[in-house]
Amino acid sequence: MMDPIEFFGNHTFRMVFLGTSVIGLVAGALGSFAYLRKQSLISDVVAHSALPGALLAFLAAVLVLEVNGRNMLGLLVGAIITGTLSALFANTIASRTKIRIDTAMAISLTMFFGGGMILLRIISQGQFPGKGGIDEYLFGNASVITIADLTTIIAVGALALILMVVFWKEFALRTFDPDFSTLLGFRARAIDTLMFTTIVIAIVIGVKAVGVVLMIAFVVTPPAAARQWTNTLPSMVALSGVFGAAGSAFGAYISVSLGSVPTGPVIVLTLFLIFLISLFAAPRRSIIATALRQARARETLRRELRSETVDK
Amino acid sequence: MTAAALACHTRNLSVAYRAEPVLHHVNFEVPVGSVMGVVGPNGSGKSTLIKAMLGLVTPLTGRSEFFGHPLDKVRQRIGYMSQSTSVDWDFPTTVSDLVTMGTYGELGWLRRPGRAERGRAIAALERTGIPDLANRQIGELSGGQRQRAFLARSLVQEPDLYFMDEPFQGIDAKSQQAMIEVLKDLSLQGKTIVIVHHHLATVRDYCTHVTLLNGSIVASGPSAEAFTKDNIRIAYEVREGAEAFLETAG
Repeated sequence: MMDPIEFFGNHTFRMVFLGTSVIGLVAGALGSFAYLRKQSLISDVVAHSALPGALLAFLAAVLVLEVNGRNMLGLLVGAIITGTLSALFANTIASRTKIRIDTAMAISLTMFFGGGMILLRIISQGQFPGKGGIDEYLFGNASVITIADLTTIIAVGALALILMVVFWKEFALRTFDPDFSTLLGFRARAIDTLMFTTIVIAIVIGVKAVGVVLMIAFVVTPPAAARQWTNTLPSMVALSGVFGAAGSAFGAYISVSLGSVPTGPVIVLTLFLIFLISLFAAPRRSIIATALRQARARETLRRELRSETVDK
Repeated sequence: MTAAALACHTRNLSVAYRAEPVLHHVNFEVPVGSVMGVVGPNGSGKSTLIKAMLGLVTPLTGRSEFFGHPLDKVRQRIGYMSQSTSVDWDFPTTVSDLVTMGTYGELGWLRRPGRAERGRAIAALERTGIPDLANRQIGELSGGQRQRAFLARSLVQEPDLYFMDEPFQGIDAKSQQAMIEVLKDLSLQGKTIVIVHHHLATVRDYCTHVTLLNGSIVASGPSAEAFTKDNIRIAYEVREGAEAFLETAG
C-alpha cells in the first residue's frame, strides 16, 4: 500500500481522491431517493444515455464554439439533456402503449447508448482537436480530472444537495405517499421535476471520472447498503452519502496504490463490499437477523397451533 | 336539502381508466355531519369515486365541490385516509414522523414541522390509542396499528370532512374498536365522514347514510331509505336463490 504522504503529495492522486469522493458523496445521498422511489433502473437508463449527450456537447464545443471539447460544464449539460430525454422516452412508451416499463427502459437505453457508440466512432476517426481519451467516457478515467473539473463537480453537486435539503419535506412526502402529497396541495409535477433533476445531476457528474457504464453503482449500491443500518430518512441519506464518499476514497487510494488498475471499477468493488457487509452484519435487517426472527416466529406459531389441537 | 348543508357533492362524474369506463354520471351528495358509507361490489368504483372527487384521478366529466367551494379553496378542511396498501411500509420512517405528515398541508412549501407539529402528532396517536408506538419504525406495525397510524395522520389535519378508503381492511378487533370510538367522537363533534366500506353486515352500525354503487349510483340517502334489500340486490346483482346471502348481509 502506498504511503499516504507520497499519495497526497501528488497532484493527480489528490484530484482522483477528491473527485471520486465528491461524486460518491453526492450520488450516494441523492441515490437514496431513487432507491426509495424504486427508480434504480431508470437511473441506469439515464447514465447510459448520458453518452450521446456528452459526445454531442464535445462536437458542439469544438465545431461551433471552438473551445475545449472536454470541459466539464458542456459535458454535464449534454449528458443531462440526453439522459432526461431517454427517461422521458421510456416513460412515454410505457404510458402510451401496452409495452411494459422494463421493456421500454431497455429499448430507450440501448437506442441512446447505441447512438452514443456511433458518435464515439465518428469522433475517434475524425480530425477533432482534443479528442484524445474521448472513449474514456465509457469506463471513466479519474486521473484526467482537472482543478476546473473538480470545481464544477463540487459546484453542481452542491447545488443538487442544497435542492435536496431545501425541499426535504416535499421530497420525503412525495416519495412515501404520492397521493397524500397531491391531496395536501403540493404540485406533483413540480416536486417530480426537482427530484428528478437532482438525481440526474448525481448521475452525470460521474461520467468523466467513472464512466457511463458503471456510474449506476454509485447511485444504487450505497443506499441499498445504508438502508440496512438505518430507520429514518435523514440517517439513511446521510449514511448513504458517507458510504459513497468513503467507498470512493478507499477505492481510489487502492487503485492508485496498485498502479495500473482503473479507479472506477475498483470503487464499484469497494462499494459492493460495503453492501455485502451490510447485508450480513446490520443488526436488525441482516440476512442472519431476518432468518432468526422468522424461525422464532414460526416456532411460536407452531407451538400455538399444537396447543390449539390439544385443547380440542 | 339546501346546498349550504352539503359537506361535498359531485355532479355528473364519469371516470375511465384508459378506455375502460368505471363510473357513469355519478351524482353524489354528502350532508354536513353525516357518516356516509360508500358500499358496492369489487370493481364498482368506490375508491375511484373518492379519488376522482379529490383530484387524484382525472375524471372525464363532472365537477366536485366541498362546502360549496372547489377543492383548491378548502384543502385544509379535507382529510384523506388512503388504503394502507397504497404505500410501502418498508419506507425508513417512524410512526410519529408519519403522523406529522398530516401537518404538511398547512405548513405549505418549505416550512418545516417543529415542536408544535410533533406535539400534535403525539396527541393524535393518543386518540387512536397507540402513543407508545410513536418511535417505532413503521415496518414493524401490525395491520391494525398501520390503520390506526393512518387515522392519526388524518386526525392531525383537523379537517371538517374525512374521506376514508376501507379503514377496517384486514385489522384486528381491538384496533377496529379503537377506530370506531374515534369515528363516533368525530361524528359527535359534527364532522362529516365518507367511508368506503365493503362489509355489508356492519354498515348500519356506523353509517347514518349509505350510497350503493355499481359503476353508477344505485341508491343514496339516509340508511333506512337507501340501504334496502332491493337496492343491495341491484347493486350486487344478486340473482334469485341468493337470499341466504342477503340474510347474513343485512
